[in-house]
Amino acid sequence: MVKSMSDDYQPKIIALVCNWCTYTAADLAGTSRLCYPSNIRMIRMMCTGMIDPKYILKAFLDGADGVFIGGCHPGDCHYINGNLKFKKRMAGIEAIISQFGFEEDRLRLRWIGASEGPEFQHNMTDFIQTIQNMGPSPAKGLMVL
Amino acid sequence: MTTQNKPKIGVYICHCGMNIAPKVDVEEVARYIQELDHVTVARDYKFMCSNPGQDMIINDIKELGLNRVVVASCSPRMHEKTFRNAVRTAGLNPYYFQMANIREQVSWVTKDSQEATEKAKSMVAAAVARVFFHQPLDTREVTVAKSVLVIGGGIAGMQAALTSANAGYQVSLVEREPSIGGHMAKFDKTFPTLDCAACIMTPKMVDVLQHPGITLYTWSEVEKVEGFIGNFEVTVKKKPRYVDEKKCTGCGTCMQKCPTKKILSEFNEGLSFRTAIYTPFPQAVPNVPVIDATHCRVLGQNKKCGVCAKFCETKAIDFDQKPEFVTLKIGAIITATGFQAVNPTSLEQYGYGRFPEVYTSMEFERLNNATGPTSGKVLMKNGMVPKRVAIIHCVGSRDTRHKKYCSRVCCMYSMKFAHLLREKTGAEVWEFYIDIRSPGKLYEEFYNRVQEEGVRFIRGRVAEITDMVEDPGDEGRLTVIAESTLTRRTVRVPVDMVVLSVGLEPARGSEDIGRLLGLSRDGDGWFNELHAKLAPLATPINGIFLAGCCQGPKDIPDTVAQAMGAAGEAIALLAKGIVTTQAEISRIDPDLCSGCKSCIESCTYSAIRFDEARKVAVVNEALCMGCGSCAAACPSSAAGVKHFTDKQVMGEIEALLM
Amino acid sequence: MSVYAMVKDASPTVAVKAALTKLLSQNLVDAVLVAAKSPYSALPMPTLFAEASAMDGIDPLAPAAPFNAARQAATVSRQATGKRLALVLRPCEIRALIELVKLNQCTLENVVLIGIDCLGRMENEVFLRHASALGDVTSEFQKNTSLQDDITRTCQMCEQFEPAHADIAMSTLGMAENSVLFASGSETGEALLKELGLSPAENPAQRETVTKQLREKRAACKKEVFAETSEKINSIEKFEKMIGTCLNCYNCRQACPVCYCRECVFLTDVFAARPETLLRRAQKRGSVKLPTDTTMFHLTRLSHIAHSCVGCGQCSSVCPSNIPVADIFTTVAAQVQAAYDYVPGRDVQEPIPYLIFAEKQKSGEPK
Ligand SMILES: Cc1cc2nc3c(=O)[nH]c(=O)nc-3n(C[C@H](O)[C@H](O)[C@H](O)COP(=O)(O)OP(=O)(O)OC[C@H]3O[C@@H](n4cnc5c(N)ncnc54)[C@H](O)[C@@H]3O)c2cc1C
Ligand code: SF4
Ligand code: SF4
Ligand code: SF4
Ligand code: FES
Repeated sequence: MVKSMSDDYQPKIIALVCNWCTYTAADLAGTSRLCYPSNIRMIRMMCTGMIDPKYILKAFLDGADGVFIGGCHPGDCHYINGNLKFKKRMAGIEAIISQFGFEEDRLRLRWIGASEGPEFQHNMTDFIQTIQNMGPSPAKGLMVL
Repeated sequence: MTTQNKPKIGVYICHCGMNIAPKVDVEEVARYIQELDHVTVARDYKFMCSNPGQDMIINDIKELGLNRVVVASCSPRMHEKTFRNAVRTAGLNPYYFQMANIREQVSWVTKDSQEATEKAKSMVAAAVARVFFHQPLDTREVTVAKSVLVIGGGIAGMQAALTSANAGYQVSLVEREPSIGGHMAKFDKTFPTLDCAACIMTPKMVDVLQHPGITLYTWSEVEKVEGFIGNFEVTVKKKPRYVDEKKCTGCGTCMQKCPTKKILSEFNEGLSFRTAIYTPFPQAVPNVPVIDATHCRVLGQNKKCGVCAKFCETKAIDFDQKPEFVTLKIGAIITATGFQAVNPTSLEQYGYGRFPEVYTSMEFERLNNATGPTSGKVLMKNGMVPKRVAIIHCVGSRDTRHKKYCSRVCCMYSMKFAHLLREKTGAEVWEFYIDIRSPGKLYEEFYNRVQEEGVRFIRGRVAEITDMVEDPGDEGRLTVIAESTLTRRTVRVPVDMVVLSVGLEPARGSEDIGRLLGLSRDGDGWFNELHAKLAPLATPINGIFLAGCCQGPKDIPDTVAQAMGAAGEAIALLAKGIVTTQAEISRIDPDLCSGCKSCIESCTYSAIRFDEARKVAVVNEALCMGCGSCAAACPSSAAGVKHFTDKQVMGEIEALLM
Repeated sequence: MSVYAMVKDASPTVAVKAALTKLLSQNLVDAVLVAAKSPYSALPMPTLFAEASAMDGIDPLAPAAPFNAARQAATVSRQATGKRLALVLRPCEIRALIELVKLNQCTLENVVLIGIDCLGRMENEVFLRHASALGDVTSEFQKNTSLQDDITRTCQMCEQFEPAHADIAMSTLGMAENSVLFASGSETGEALLKELGLSPAENPAQRETVTKQLREKRAACKKEVFAETSEKINSIEKFEKMIGTCLNCYNCRQACPVCYCRECVFLTDVFAARPETLLRRAQKRGSVKLPTDTTMFHLTRLSHIAHSCVGCGQCSSVCPSNIPVADIFTTVAAQVQAAYDYVPGRDVQEPIPYLIFAEKQKSGEPK
């Protein structure tokens, strides 16, 4: 676990990852025993193209400090171009949440291929570190969902 | 199937021997989970995937009346099937099951034991929250019609038809021209072996015609395609031939007698004439003429003629023929619509269309063909034999302003031409190339052979072809101007004849075929294969395969190999006889759909159609792959993928952040 | 190239009314949808006319619009009926209608779009107050600049007050008193102007100056509103405060012309909270405010329609809690539209941005 000096802030991070690439890479990181901090909570989607903006908004409003989206590299999507569809949609989501004080890097999209176990580990460590440095999400203290 | 309303969830936490247990405090996890709402039982066990482990689940379902199950163990990619089967064995719908991956995602990747236990708790709790919202799902089995449709009767289509028919399936081959054969029927020799194209082609064409398993629809087009894998319903339009195929004996009298004689022959690339009633070439299959309605005096000009009808002994001519529509039940479709050669007119520097002695490669094929306009003698328009010929590679290919791609066959056929020119005319041959691409069996050897035959190779793109000559003695000849990139000098070569090795582009009308079949095309217009490496003959549409040049430029050996491969894919599908539909597919709630078509735009597989009467989108379950693009695009949440519903995903999110 | 015709020496309402009535009396169209006074209220309501004789009360230039009439326009043009329809709309209504065409909610087949220069609309109660004092607010509004300052906050920041994409545009800005300019925006419009027998004219030079001035004034106001709103919502907590009194009545979504769903997801059970979840959460955090999905509603609605938001301000007008919904939506929408380089209502051919994506994009990292 990444330790913060000042407080015992434990970031909570939701990762929505596609079954065919990033989820497989996570399995590979597991079989290769590549450790990373435990703050990440992964949700298996069939493709990044099925990620509804609602899921991201829901995660933030429910108190996630960061949301990570992982999919196949362009050209490798199991469903041809779901990842590109999501990428396009992501531009709009970013434009919206940034207006409400969510820092740009709290939502991160990365392509991680099925064979990229080490990349998966590196991406998790790096994202958790980034969110750790950033401090709690502005939505953390909300009384509402 | 148990469908009680009140969820009773059983949760099983696996030790996985020593893989999960010591790192994750499994007993603590079980204790925690036991307290959650709707959890009837939470147990831990050494090996959940073992038979005793599975039996534990089955017994609990039966004895405790569980109606939902969660197993926390390894990756669902490993054992989801195993546990679903166990659940099914106990009489529960297998989709009332969820897995939490606490091995690959927890025990194997987390250092601290306490942290691992905390993570495992929240992941199992999330699985419990998700399974609450699970619904029973079903897969369906659909029978496959034992028939193949092949579109395009070039060498690819013919081979695909033969292979499929030899396996015992019914094949319908649709070709839009009056005869099958495609481009290969126009060639005299083929690289690299220089075997006579007609000698290998003609028997194959006859095989296709005579094969009892193949129904040939020439002068026909695919009009409509409906349905899905195994169950396509295809409408074929037979254009009127104005000649009754059953009565015609192919004697050819009509063609001799037809007074309308000055129509440029398409088959001979406009280098000779044909009559209004014609077969494109003497070996045409079927050997039944068609009347070209635009040029025919009766059909096109409303004049009195009917000479063909008068002379036809079997009374086969029928000026009143109308288009005929045939509906076919098809199991698999093979697309083999091939290519067309690029028209170089717009590439003005080459002077095509301005200078009579500039030919395209397809024209040269005819000029060189024993059945062509000059009976195979390579002659200039003035009847003389050329003394020096330039062959220009990459015309329209590998050119950022034109086709960026390499057309793959031009280097090789250019060298074929060089060889034939040397052999037939003794002319000096100059090849202008960017670089020589000869990656194929015996191809490099052929290149060496042609070099040894004295063909000159100049490396450099041709800047211009002009009729201005430097030496008055060359008056009447053409000059090829190019910069040799090897010597860094400009070369000017006076020649008698120029052959443009034009590139390949998708056949005219590919866009329409693409739309009919729901196939996507790449930026250059070639049909997209499902996967460039692992599924090169399949398409995103289940049950539709690709063969030959319609997928991209290639030579005959590759075309034939692909055709056999595509036929193999089709045969495998037909032999199995059933397709199982996936359970995790989209459904659209017609009461919520506002008919905006966003889902239709988003679906890569053309799996959604629009019901104009109700003004709602409707999923074709057999085409849907379950990618969820439609779900993410639909603001009303009318579209959603089963087993990935909003409630399921958001329930999981909520629990993970609780 | 536009063809122009000028009608002089008549109040704009009279001139416009004459032209629209003629469309019906000469059978140039089969029906006209236009705002008209009803026997029940001074507020003009979108009304569908099939008889010229019934058109006496039409009032398209009235500075009031209880609806963004794109919704009503889409209802009558839901599918082609074989009849020819004239739709008389404000610029923001035309833009919304174009978005709805893209979303397959209606068709422009056999539709004549007639647009007006829009000087803005007043909130309903403001209009009614003036109406009871003045009687004919519309004519007074055209002349009286102080009355023109009574328009809604969103109208004050609207720079797109000229009707783009209309077959016929009826303009009063920069015209001499008592004259209206009719300009064609298409061949259909050109033919109709001829049929109406309007005499050709030039586009008066001063129009440019006047519209430019107005646009500058509006732009300055918009800048101010955006800056003020950004500051008010730049943390989710501040935003919570701003929408703290939201009742989840969904009036805003009902009034929004581009919120086209037949049934909003927030009315389905997708967000229905389970009691056990609510209790658990209350235990964990001490308390939970109900309803729980208010913030989610506004953010989701933004994610659904921000790219298509035409800035008509109706959502603010209908909010019973006086939440400046339109300030929030226009401010955020500007960012989304910039991100997609998309302008709603700019072009019927321009697809909704998230429905096109770079097919051939093979390179690199997503950011
Ligand atoms: C000048 C030249 C010389 C060549 N020489 C050689 C050589 O020597 N050796 C070699 O290996 N390769 C050679 N090639 C390559 C060779 O031509 C191709 O590999 C081969 O013809 C591809 O076959 P195909 O069946 O895919 O396409 P095609 O031959 O183009 O056949 C496609 C068929 O589909 C039909 N069709 C198209 N659209 C439709 C439709 N919508 N409905 C119904 N029917 C349709 C067409 O009419 C045609 O009959 C040469 C190519 C060129 C241009
Ligand atoms: S996106 Fe949704 S609302 Fe639109 S047509 Fe499809 S299912 Fe219907
Ligand atoms: S889930 Fe994918 S394949 Fe199925 S209908 Fe939706 S977009 Fe098409
Ligand atoms: S109109 Fe106002 S109160 Fe009603 S849902 Fe919209 S913002 Fe909330
Ligand atoms: S399947 Fe991985 S992003 Fe589409």
